[in-house]
Amino acid sequence: MQLNKIEFNKKEIRDAYLFNAPLILIALIFIFLPVIGTLITSFFRDVTFLPGKFIGLENYKRLIGDSHFWQSVEFTLIFVIVSVSLELFFGVIFALLLNETIPGRGFMRVAILIPWAIPVAISARVWQLIYNYDFGVFNYFVLKLGISNQPVSWLGTTAGAFFSIVISDVWKTTPFMTIIILAGLSTISNDLYKQAMIDGTNFLQRFFRITLPLLKPVLVVALLFRTIDAIRIFDLVYVLTGGGPGGSTTPLSLYAYDYLVSGDFGYGSAASVIVFLLAALLAILYIKFGQFKEVVK
Amino acid sequence: MRETTVIKLLKFSGIVFLLIFCLTPFVWMLLVSLSKHPDFLLSQTPLELTLNNYIQILTSSSVHLLTYLRNSIIISLTAAFFSTFLASLSAYAITRLTFPGRVVIPVVLLAVSMFPQISIVGYLFKLMTWLGWINTYYALIFPYITLGLPLALWIMLSYFSRLSKELDKAALIDGANRFQILQKIILPISLPGAFSTFMLIFIYSFNEFLFALMLTIDYKARTIPVGIALFEGLHGQIPWGYIMAGAVVATIPMVLLITFFQKYIIQGLTEGAIKG
Repeated sequence: MQLNKIEFNKKEIRDAYLFNAPLILIALIFIFLPVIGTLITSFFRDVTFLPGKFIGLENYKRLIGDSHFWQSVEFTLIFVIVSVSLELFFGVIFALLLNETIPGRGFMRVAILIPWAIPVAISARVWQLIYNYDFGVFNYFVLKLGISNQPVSWLGTTAGAFFSIVISDVWKTTPFMTIIILAGLSTISNDLYKQAMIDGTNFLQRFFRITLPLLKPVLVVALLFRTIDAIRIFDLVYVLTGGGPGGSTTPLSLYAYDYLVSGDFGYGSAASVIVFLLAALLAILYIKFGQFKEVVK
Repeated sequence: MRETTVIKLLKFSGIVFLLIFCLTPFVWMLLVSLSKHPDFLLSQTPLELTLNNYIQILTSSSVHLLTYLRNSIIISLTAAFFSTFLASLSAYAITRLTFPGRVVIPVVLLAVSMFPQISIVGYLFKLMTWLGWINTYYALIFPYITLGLPLALWIMLSYFSRLSKELDKAALIDGANRFQILQKIILPISLPGAFSTFMLIFIYSFNEFLFALMLTIDYKARTIPVGIALFEGLHGQIPWGYIMAGAVVATIPMVLLITFFQKYIIQGLTEGAIKG
């Protein structure tokens, strides 16, 4: 009997590795190898037409000394803070709306998913036209409503380009927030609200005393999830502003990309490693909070 | 009494705002794609409707729009299928069998899902060049399978862990092997979960931009987001009518998917983000 049991476990372990082998193999080749490769490359001078050479931390020193790099760091961080806060704000409002029994709820859920499902690169072209100086929708309203008697250069000024990117990003990702928060809302028991109503509380009191505290774990997870995603923003900016004007809207990913495609692989890799480290820092927080939630459950 | 009126008003204005917020860009896209001149809003040219933009982009041999769309669909379908399948294999072992690494695999994969793509793409380009896969479907299919794996694994784990292990024991006694149990019992019961996973990875792959931009060169493997992003006119002026018509063509499959499979997509999203 004892012998049999060991035999069985051995077979189980063999089966388990067989079942996991394809996943592990693919992840090793197409994720771990490239990430390690990028890290190693970042310590090398790896420029087209020149022999590779180990240069230690030279690429990182160059990064620290480059004012454009710091401009990118600044843009990325401000962008993440502004857009993720707005997404959270609108996400909560939309989720509260969709959680109510309102006419056309099914249609609204479809409507809200569409911006999320369309490739960013494609919706970014539509936004590009909306911000168009000569005949865009925004300038139409600016002129017709008399906000200004001159069209606004949405994509041609630093502030205009920044807000254009934020608006488009909020439009694209608020649906994700809404869906996640909606799932959180549906776990809150209706009896709590009924009791609170009997106690004579108003709408705002119920929101701040019941909804918000119970929603907190979901909000924390959604927030970190979106933050990690926003830190690596690339396609929206690539299409909408190309990083301009004057490099003022270049996120770190685009900064690194520009060097990678121009043939300065070592330096581009070093910049990529910085993006990686930023995301890793947040990922650690995310996993910590994720488990925290499991334990509470 | 007064409070309910206020709330009703708030709800109504909220709904109107929500719809305007989500749909305005699409109305605008549709309008420009159907108009003769893109500048009808702010110039003297009136709005004239035409199908010419569609006819041009769908029939012109230099635009390749339908080829981009076909590439996107083939690549995304393949990636979604294999990602879901490989994750199911792994999720089966993790929920059913005891072996060293049971806990490590999903946690490591969860961490992997947070790797920024920029930290992968540079070296991936070298790897694909070495393999001779640049500008082929393989250059995107394999990375997309990998990008989909963490989400797929976590969703499948949450579905499989709900199923009783008695199912397996009974089948083992009947002489089935582990793979047969997965294929004939566990997967069929978890089909809604597998379908959610498949849908999400299809959408994420269809959306992916950076890898497609860097690992493809032309219409042989270029996907539709990159095709539309890089679409420029030949004469310096941006052909907005064509671009918007192309955007509409790319948007239609997604709108259909959401309309028909909304339930599965929402389920997958919430499983993946909250449980994962």
